Amino acid sequence: MHATTLRSPQALAPVRRGFVRRNLPYFLIAPSVIMLLALIAYPLLFALKSSFYFWNLQVGPQPLAFVELDNYVQALNAFDFRAALTNTLILSILGTAIEFSLGLAIALVLLKALPGMNVVRALLILPTTIAPIVVGFLFRYLYDPGGGLVTWLLQSLWLPVPAEGILGSPATALAAILFVDIWQWTPFFAIVLYASLLSVPDEIIEAARLDRASAWTILTRIKLPLIRRTAIIIVMLRFMQIFNTFDTVLVLTRGGPGTSTRTLGYSLYEQGLVNFNVGLVSAQTWIAVLIVNIIVALYVFFAFRNEEW
Amino acid sequence: MKSRKTFYTALTYAAGLLFLAVFIGPILWFLALAIRPAETAFAMPPQLTFEPTFDAFRHILVDPGTNAPQLVNSLIVAIGAVLLNLPFSVPAAYALSRFKLRGKKNIMLWYLGLLMAPPIAFLIPYFVLITRIGLQGSYFSMVLVLQTLTIPFSVWLMKSFIDEVPAELEEAGRVDGARWYTIMWRITLPIVRPGIIVTSMFAFVFAWNNAAFPLVLSSRSTATLPIGTLGYFATSGVTWNYIAAAAVLAMIPPMIIFLVFDRYVVRGLTFGSVKG
Repeated sequence: MHATTLRSPQALAPVRRGFVRRNLPYFLIAPSVIMLLALIAYPLLFALKSSFYFWNLQVGPQPLAFVELDNYVQALNAFDFRAALTNTLILSILGTAIEFSLGLAIALVLLKALPGMNVVRALLILPTTIAPIVVGFLFRYLYDPGGGLVTWLLQSLWLPVPAEGILGSPATALAAILFVDIWQWTPFFAIVLYASLLSVPDEIIEAARLDRASAWTILTRIKLPLIRRTAIIIVMLRFMQIFNTFDTVLVLTRGGPGTSTRTLGYSLYEQGLVNFNVGLVSAQTWIAVLIVNIIVALYVFFAFRNEEW
Repeated sequence: MKSRKTFYTALTYAAGLLFLAVFIGPILWFLALAIRPAETAFAMPPQLTFEPTFDAFRHILVDPGTNAPQLVNSLIVAIGAVLLNLPFSVPAAYALSRFKLRGKKNIMLWYLGLLMAPPIAFLIPYFVLITRIGLQGSYFSMVLVLQTLTIPFSVWLMKSFIDEVPAELEEAGRVDGARWYTIMWRITLPIVRPGIIVTSMFAFVFAWNNAAFPLVLSSRSTATLPIGTLGYFATSGVTWNYIAAAAVLAMIPPMIIFLVFDRYVVRGLTFGSVKG
């Protein structure tokens, strides 16, 4: 400090520029990080604090009592919240698995570069571009028990349709929601996997063919490992998106009948924005955040272990 | 051998047609709902031919009654989200692409992790906060909270574009004595203009399609199109033609964007981990 004050002003400049330059990347990143922290930290801390209080906006504007862990106990013991957790896990695991497999199959068909198939490929992305809430309405129309296209198709094929409608029966409602997610997001997997498979060099495939490798071996031993990084990222993102789904459920079933299509996202919506039970929904939020973080941390740890950045 | 090949070709085309029927058919059927006479919407068996009517669109666009023009609201929110997003995400992407950083992997994963937060869980706190600072029902409140989705995504996507600008171009500028911000502003950013456009388009589509935030933060006069469809759903029975018309308006811009930017779509969907 003393040394620099004794120097001439000209000598000061490089020192200061050195500091800015050394930390320049952090100055460039900082605004976005601060913005995101402000937007994320507040809700999380707010929810953490609220989760220890009895606070229902329908009862009063302020928290009424400090209740320790009661909200957590109540959430975890509630039948409907446990059903929501189960449904969410079923939807996200089955959904991601089916969408990935179907998408891969479609990608392999698209790779047979026949004239006209590029039109099919370009159009195929369209379901993915539609807002989930609009997809909800689209399928509510298709599933309608009194004249929906899907209902009519199933009946025409002599398949059993529940009298209450596809969305009205606990036996079929969750499958119907799963189908909607598959419809919207299989094209996403198909297009992304198609594009990444295109980047696999032909020479490697040719060499494997000369070695008499079967199509299955080429797919699982060569193609899939080469597109590993893309696959890791899209599977993770999709899993989390389904995990948080609520708009389609809101439009299609409102979690019913009973608790058959209740999801975590819808449960948070209902407790928070319909019942205004701030304390309980905050506890549910933190349970959800913890589960999500554990799953993602495990996944990232194993999947990204050997990745270079 | 030849007939076997023909057989496989036919099979591939059949598969292509099946994909279109399954994935595009429902969209076309829904589009038809918007211009159908109301009484034919649920005809059994489904009616393929009808007299098209544009009354529903007229109602949504020209005669919104007590509703504000939701199309305009959607545009304001989505464009606003893009404009607020770029000044935050582009410099961050530039830094992550151009500089050696300690903890770069962790920073990148942190951005990615934010995309996984359940937006619905933040709605109550946002609602309380925004009400306390008196911004409820404003466009700004929606534009602001949408950044939790769009900034992390844009950083990843922009980084993949900047990664591809050869370092030699910047070196040339440095040799001429240009400062880093001159280099970024005059050399790198003009080259990655397509990247900025594509990043903006994706941020636009995210904001445009989002229903969770406007559901809580919008007022009657700032409601966006997805909220509009919910409105026609809730009030006085289901008015399917109006829902369909509003939904079609909501569907069209993202579809056009994805079709026009076809060659960048994959890159956006994977943040450039596949070079599209």
